[in-house]
Amino acid sequence: MADQLLEQVRDAVEGQIDFEGQRLAELLTTVLLGAAGIIAFLVGFMTQDIRLSLYVGLAGTALTFLVVVPPWPFYNKNPEGWLPPHNATSGFSIDVDGQKVG
Amino acid sequence: MHSALVRLQNVFGFFTTVAFTVATVIALSSFISPQSPSASVQLRNVQVVKGRPHYYSYKKEEYAHIKFDLDTDLRTLFNWNTKQVFLYLKAIYPSTRANEPASEAIIWDAILASNSAPWHQNHYTHPDPKSKLPKKSKKASLASKSKATSPYPIGELHLPNQRPKYQITDITGKLGNRTDVVLELGWNVQPWVGALTWANFDKFGAWQGLRGGRSEAFDLPEVGAKAVKKKDLETEKGAEGYRLEVNGEQPRRKNV
Repeated sequence: MADQLLEQVRDAVEGQIDFEGQRLAELLTTVLLGAAGIIAFLVGFMTQDIRLSLYVGLAGTALTFLVVVPPWPFYNKNPEGWLPPHNATSGFSIDVDGQKVG
Repeated sequence: MHSALVRLQNVFGFFTTVAFTVATVIALSSFISPQSPSASVQLRNVQVVKGRPHYYSYKKEEYAHIKFDLDTDLRTLFNWNTKQVFLYLKAIYPSTRANEPASEAIIWDAILASNSAPWHQNHYTHPDPKSKLPKKSKKASLASKSKATSPYPIGELHLPNQRPKYQITDITGKLGNRTDVVLELGWNVQPWVGALTWANFDKFGAWQGLRGGRSEAFDLPEVGAKAVKKKDLETEKGAEGYRLEVNGEQPRRKNV
């Protein structure tokens, strides 16, 4: 019971996502932070208020952290079909191009 | 990007890049903001007296006390990236030896804060031209709750018959009878991000050079050329001069 609970906590902290999710996370980081920087400058320059620039930039950054860091479900939509675990005694064999490799 | 920790590090890493880039662009944007500063400086009165650098000093030196008229229009120095402008007035006089560069000494200065700068006690507040009352002490002005505001827009100064903040002396200790003394305005623009810039008299891109800002040349009188009243040798105190310290000078009160 305790082990199960710990496992869940570890999964939540590690926040693993699948390969497609990683590609998406990378893209979102670049796009969101880049956009936040550009908008921050433009807004500040238009209103001639450098403080607004700072706040827009920091808000955009906070949003990016919120979107990218936690393992949201949409990062795990393409789970990899891993092979089942095996060992010598399990009697399970793997065929690669007609050769037994496991 | 497979785990939360790696994503955290990646996002923060790219954030620093973006922050630095935006800061660079903001710093560069100062240079496309047009500037057209102008100023006029005129000598009002100059006296040279003998004095000591401090109470226990055996050395007697000559001190020049220069009063002046200053009118400036530095509004264009305050763009969105300007935090404050340190404004100063220099007295420039040739050295006694021809091969040495001219000496420069600051006789008056002020910290002009922009609107985006948070309040600070050292910031300069323009005296009210209509008010005939002596300046309020720090305590009194705090108690009255009314915020001290300049009667002119930021960067515009009209100071007739301004007392100097500093009496100046020379390294030789002799300052009487010097010729070709010039008062020159200078400043240092301190931006929120980017490079410090100083006063310039030449055009630089969108920045016009300072028009005016130099007084006509004048000569310093002989030491004690005329009877000097002590009141005439009073210096102006900047707001920063009123910091409370043990045995320190106290703010001027109304009845004193």
